[in-house]
Amino acid sequence: MHVGGEVDVRSAYCAASVASLTNIMTPTLFAGTAEWIARCQNWEGGIGGVPGMEAHGGYTFCGVAALVILKQEHLLNLRSLLHWVTGRQMRFEGGFQGRCNKLVDGCYSFWQAGLLPLLHRALHARGDPALSMAHWMFDQLALQEYILLCCQCPAGGLLDKPGKSRDFYHTCYCLSGLAIAQHFGSGDLHNEVVLGIPENCLQATHPVYNIAPEKVARAVMHFLQYPVPSLDPA
Amino acid sequence: DEIGLIPCPEARYNRSPIVLVENKLGVESWCVKFLLPYVHNRLLLYRQRKQWLNKDELIDITCTLLLLNPDFTTAWNVRKELILSGTLNPLKDLHLGKLALTKFPKSPETWIHRRWVLQQLIQENSLPSLATKGNLGAAPMERIHRLVQEEMNVCSEAAGRYPSNYNAWSHRIWVLQHLAKLTVKVLLDELSSTKYWVSMHVSDHSGFHYRQFLLNSLIRRTVTDSNILVQNRMVNEQNPSLQKGEESAGTEAACAEEQSVDLPRHLEEEMELCSELIDNYPGHETLWCHSDETLNNSHHSPAASPMAQAMDVDGLNESSSKQGYTQETKRLKRAPVQDSLGPEMEYRFVDKVLSTCRDVDQARFATAYRKWLVTFLGQ
Repeated sequence: MHVGGEVDVRSAYCAASVASLTNIMTPTLFAGTAEWIARCQNWEGGIGGVPGMEAHGGYTFCGVAALVILKQEHLLNLRSLLHWVTGRQMRFEGGFQGRCNKLVDGCYSFWQAGLLPLLHRALHARGDPALSMAHWMFDQLALQEYILLCCQCPAGGLLDKPGKSRDFYHTCYCLSGLAIAQHFGSGDLHNEVVLGIPENCLQATHPVYNIAPEKVARAVMHFLQYPVPSLDPA
Repeated sequence: DEIGLIPCPEARYNRSPIVLVENKLGVESWCVKFLLPYVHNRLLLYRQRKQWLNKDELIDITCTLLLLNPDFTTAWNVRKELILSGTLNPLKDLHLGKLALTKFPKSPETWIHRRWVLQQLIQENSLPSLATKGNLGAAPMERIHRLVQEEMNVCSEAAGRYPSNYNAWSHRIWVLQHLAKLTVKVLLDELSSTKYWVSMHVSDHSGFHYRQFLLNSLIRRTVTDSNILVQNRMVNEQNPSLQKGEESAGTEAACAEEQSVDLPRHLEEEMELCSELIDNYPGHETLWCHSDETLNNSHHSPAASPMAQAMDVDGLNESSSKQGYTQETKRLKRAPVQDSLGPEMEYRFVDKVLSTCRDVDQARFATAYRKWLVTFLGQ
């Protein structure tokens, strides 16, 4: 994560995210990275921090999003991943848990639910005829209910679950998850599913970078104007 | 051996807020808001080169800081520098970390620093000058063994202090991989020593995942060792005049011993443990997951089908990291299914659960398990 720091799948995502947006990807920069990430997928179907670790929502998102950026999602067993993540939506609360047999947490509204757009895209690229053209493979309304009814702090901001206090991290990821749950697809295929009044509808977010899709486009366009920097001394 | 915060919003008496009782250190909460900013500030000033601190002061200040907030990376990093310059004994940091974990059992930075320290100790251990260091005064192997045991204890304590403690269990796996080198002995020891713990923590997914890791490592070990045996035999057949070096004889002996690991029995015991816990504690998804995966392993591991070892090796290595609920029909066809675990037994178990359970979740898990059995076993 930093010089002398720990190594785990998050840093791969951070690096891939930054490098792809700023157009500094060289062939050697991510040599072996995709294969390493794939080794982090375990028997549960989800992805752990490093190879051998327990499957975990946060790490799974980072791993899958990084592989999407590196265009190597096919290295994963997508079926077992799909089985694992869909099993993480709680049937009573509607929100998601981070790992099997744990409690629901608002932030996983993004880390877990956010996997479904990525999976949808990957499976679509394979030409899977069973894919819906209107909905993600999770209960979008139930997630919105959890976020809106259980994760709001009366003083403003959002949180993990009732009883917890608000913080910026949970505010960010509850809102990101809400955006994912409200918007399917984009362009011609865009389908909005909004719980409650229309004013509840948020702007869509980019499922890989979690910033506004227009911002992604602008960043990419901007940095494409510059050549990929080389490591050779000038 | 333990630290804690004593809820005490106001300083009532004119006395020190530090309380030491039976080797347990307590700090009255009122003083934290004075103490923490003070030490924090002093460290930052030092880092900014505005105010010098000598080595002893640094050690004291970082120690105080980390006992109040062990996720303060900078403080750990200062200690890294002290260790590298030889001023601070790395074992002190293992002790400090252990203490911090009694109050902050998840603290990511503490676990990360711990791995850094252990890596330093491993490197030290491989140097021939070890005999003169006198840190533990024991032979290298024994030293490592003691370190491993201590780490297992620390992990176990931390796991008990916070449910499904991902960081503690991840660290435990890391120690086995990098310090204990995943020997069969340590894998089996861990399997037996964690059995009681997981029975007392039936919702602890991390604990059960650890057992899956142990079983998977044993499976992989058995496969690798049988390969070594085969290779050794081939080499010896080709060169009968080649003197068996100590190493290869040692490996063979080790392999011979390890070949005697009764993998099917361990997997069967694991299934029994699962069934027993499922019966006694209805409604825990972790137990059903564990059951699924153990059954999966017992049908697909080469140890369960000794004749097919050579063929299965590649398949297992490549797919073992992706085992899950998906059917991998190629593997199913290839490996002859050992009936030592008896699919009928599993059906009987599930049907019994379904007919006797009153817990809604248990019924749901049992139904799903039964559906899975049908597709998986194709019967």
